[in-house]
Amino acid sequence: MAENQTSVGKSFLAGLWDENPVLRLILGMCPTLAVTTSLQAALTMGASVIFVLICSNLVVSAMRNLLKPHLRILMFTLTIAAFVTIADLFLKAYQPEMSAKLGPYIPLIIVNCIIICRAEACASKNGLLVSLADALGMGLGFTGALTVLAVIRELLATGQIVFTFSRSFTLIRLPDVPLFRMAGMAMPVGAFLTLGLMLGLVKLLTTKRA
Amino acid sequence: MSKLRFFWEQSWLLLVSSLIFGVLLAMADAALAPRIKRNETEKFTRLAGGMLPEAVRFEPVEPKIAVTASNGKTVEVEVYRGLDEQGRTAGWAFACEGGGFSDKIKLVVGVDGRFEKLAGFGVLSSNETPGFGDKITIPGGFFQKQFVGAPADKLTLVKAGRPEQIDAEIVAITGATVTSQAVVDILNTYVLAIRSALKEQGLLN
Amino acid sequence: MQTLESLLLGFIGIMIVNNLVFTKFLGTCPYLGVSGRIDTAFGMGCAVTFVVTLAGALTWTLDYLVLIPCGLDVMRYVCYILVIAAMVQLVEMYVHKFFPVLYESFGIFLPLISTNCAILGMCLFINLWGIDNLPEAVVLSAGAGLGFTLAICIMAGIRENLELADVPAALRGAPITLITAGLLTLAFMGFAGMIR
Repeated sequence: MAENQTSVGKSFLAGLWDENPVLRLILGMCPTLAVTTSLQAALTMGASVIFVLICSNLVVSAMRNLLKPHLRILMFTLTIAAFVTIADLFLKAYQPEMSAKLGPYIPLIIVNCIIICRAEACASKNGLLVSLADALGMGLGFTGALTVLAVIRELLATGQIVFTFSRSFTLIRLPDVPLFRMAGMAMPVGAFLTLGLMLGLVKLLTTKRA
Repeated sequence: MSKLRFFWEQSWLLLVSSLIFGVLLAMADAALAPRIKRNETEKFTRLAGGMLPEAVRFEPVEPKIAVTASNGKTVEVEVYRGLDEQGRTAGWAFACEGGGFSDKIKLVVGVDGRFEKLAGFGVLSSNETPGFGDKITIPGGFFQKQFVGAPADKLTLVKAGRPEQIDAEIVAITGATVTSQAVVDILNTYVLAIRSALKEQGLLN
Repeated sequence: MQTLESLLLGFIGIMIVNNLVFTKFLGTCPYLGVSGRIDTAFGMGCAVTFVVTLAGALTWTLDYLVLIPCGLDVMRYVCYILVIAAMVQLVEMYVHKFFPVLYESFGIFLPLISTNCAILGMCLFINLWGIDNLPEAVVLSAGAGLGFTLAICIMAGIRENLELADVPAALRGAPITLITAGLLTLAFMGFAGMIR
């Protein structure tokens, strides 16, 4: 039992830093780059991915002994697609603004490598508890990386961080200087450059520590 | 027979779970669909109602009006008639779209009751360049203001001029001429076609 | 003539101006992962072009013949991904059996790309843009595939030369690839607005 507990904790912590999907494994680049123009979009994306990841990991883990090898991938895809559709409907109903902004990137969670990779590498081999911990860790790690990227990009592009629910309110506002009005940061260029520099920094930190 | 059994053994999980997921999706859709539909109409009426403050409710005009868009395709447009408290026509509103700088621009356009003056436009969705083209989305910004009260007729885009003067000349956003031209083109295409169609139906005099 | 012109414009538009990799970030995973050598990159590009053209045509047909008439919009994502996954499997078996030479050049990439976001993304965009005829859907998806090939080949060419360059240790590998991608995107922004 004690051994079991450590592996639950381990698989949760692994996703946060050591095996962080974005920063260390370079998985799921497409949403990472596309939705980080604003913090709210990034958080919405993160929440959707966490939801889908938890559900698919649990389902796959529950049926892991019934899976036939060559139909495995098809089964994973089916499970993920079903939960993504539910997440998409939910967002359309309760967060219409965000749903319009994220557009096709919500359905594209289906082909997000993180989810299918976790189903294959973790959930189809481990019990429910470990799979759940793994999903939470990976999901939070993904959301964390997205949040950092989105904060940098939104602040540098618009000089402020704005949330919109029924009405919009500003979280942080920087002084009105040209440095904080780099429109390029909101464009694809900004996404690639920021993530590239961020990965470089992470690499620098980890090599120093080792 | 053994082949059938083999097939069943291999795929029963897939078939059963397809069924379960199908039911799950149907339930989620049934629970959320009315809300999604309401969200969409709410967004339209909020934008249209902001432009036509006297209108208290919007009724669709039957039948839908066919408009030939700039790329040669025919689009069916649902035009809404805004009615005031006494049931008189307070204005018209419709959603329309066209190609912008980087992606499609979708607008809601409001026109006054006699279809002579524009009541303005609002942006349903756009993906224009941040800092330049996306200035069309600022409600009450200098670009949107130029359309409030402008004649519901052919508009032209000029690169320099006086934006505070409300007329058929629209001053482009600096650095976003393509986006500005796209908005003017969308309005020209739809407003003229819908005006003549409404006249034909006898809804305008 | 109007249609031919708009087809051609749409084709060039999606290949260069609205390139999926540079403006929509679709297919970024293989774009960063499989772009180490120019011949593998080209093979990958060919496989994607082939599959995306077929997938675009198939999902459009499915959409207009089954999903929209039956009001089954909610099943769209599930159907799309199953069509793509099943099709990739079938194509792989077919090419393997009947065109072994072709299979050697790009067939090995086929299993990889059923989870390529460019494929599903393109099918979703065709639906989102409201493309209402089959030829246009086919032309657009073929253009998207060629655009992806163009992007990944340029990237592979640059990376082959980068191996000889003196890159700071921390930036080697993925970081410098992303920065290169950023600069390429900047270059392709010059085409923006050329075709509307």
